[in-house]
Amino acid sequence: MDRDTLNALIEAVVLTARGPVDADSISLATDREVGEGAVEETLKEMSAQWEEAGRGIRLERSAGGWRCITPAQLDHYLRIFHGISSHQKLSQAALEVLALVAHRQPVTLPEINFIRGTNSSAVTRTLLERRLVRLAGRKKVVGKPFLYRTTKEFLLHFGLDRAEDLPDPEELVEAETASDA
Amino acid sequence: MEVNPDLVDFIPIGPPVELPFFCGPLDLLLHLIRKNEVSIYDIPIVTICDQYNEHIRAMQELDLEVAGEFLWMAAWLLQLKSKLLLPRAVEEEGDPREELVERLLAYRRVKELASILHDKDLVRQCIWPAGVRPDIGDEEVELDWEEVDLQLLAETYLDVMQSFAAAHPPPLEVLPLRYTVQDKMREIYHRILSDNLIPLMRHLNRRPDPEEAVALIVATLELVRLGAVRAEQRDPFTEIYLRKGERALDETEFQEPEDEVVDGP
Repeated sequence: MDRDTLNALIEAVVLTARGPVDADSISLATDREVGEGAVEETLKEMSAQWEEAGRGIRLERSAGGWRCITPAQLDHYLRIFHGISSHQKLSQAALEVLALVAHRQPVTLPEINFIRGTNSSAVTRTLLERRLVRLAGRKKVVGKPFLYRTTKEFLLHFGLDRAEDLPDPEELVEAETASDA
Repeated sequence: MEVNPDLVDFIPIGPPVELPFFCGPLDLLLHLIRKNEVSIYDIPIVTICDQYNEHIRAMQELDLEVAGEFLWMAAWLLQLKSKLLLPRAVEEEGDPREELVERLLAYRRVKELASILHDKDLVRQCIWPAGVRPDIGDEEVELDWEEVDLQLLAETYLDVMQSFAAAHPPPLEVLPLRYTVQDKMREIYHRILSDNLIPLMRHLNRRPDPEEAVALIVATLELVRLGAVRAEQRDPFTEIYLRKGERALDETEFQEPEDEVVDGP
């Protein structure tokens, strides 16, 4: 398969796929004529090329695959076009619970409540409804509380490949403490 | 100078208290520690405890509902304060503030990460994936108040009622019985006593109301069962004649049986 065809194929796949696409499945679509590594390389190159000004489509790696997104600066016009006045903002409490789940998953509600020092059940329910966290079984302790994990939507929303890609809060705090001293 | 009585209520009593929103008692404590520029590892409990209580009081004065966890923290701080004010009895007990410091550090880590997510969220919410954004449908349609006139209100009302009616079909209406089996039994029995013979089919054919016909048939069957009426038919599908049976019925037997329910129409 020549370069142009591969580029075109990749564009067509990310355009028509529902969610993020990984290099392996594109390689599989070529009957392994192009290896996974070569596809991934091409995706990276294309992603860099699409960054240039004058393009409304970007190629982004998140949640373990590649997908098409828009550049942030077009948001204003897109919202007018789609008739959306504003985006739903996540509250401070919601961000805290989300941060906790992302960092310590799987985690139970009692654990979240303890660390935050306040009841987080309503906030957690909102996050469940927004599909940023999900239930992941129950912890085998007294009361069998539900375990929470972040979702693929969470990764996509924050543009993360994996939840572990979030910065380590220990390091953040240590950096701050060091600058304090 | 005359003072407008409406304004008097708004003159604050005492020093103004800044009241940002806090996500729980640990959040408030971290705020106080930062404001006082003290180390999280060496919290001046007496100062912090007093300031904390001041905040709680301010919240109560503003009629904000002070959640239980804020009061619980106040109690903990007070306990720490009293421990620190008393001369240390046992030296090796360690710092009584240690657990609080642990909790604050754990919470601070969460806050740090939350603030990173917050910054990311600000940028990321401006990014659109391919296809229609899935949460577009969730957005509530914002109405311009000017547009809501009586006409629109009436239309909305009709829409709501229509969808309500579609979701709730009219219930089965159970009408009171117009003909009872007991009445028909009495009617047939007395007619037989006077006429001696009733052609049942002709009798039924003169009743256009199917409900009455059903009551008549059930009444006939009941009379036959009781032995008060005999039904005769010469050939199949010919007229059925009702004659007097071997039993005579008295009036009480036409009453509805208590336990033996005869189904009417």
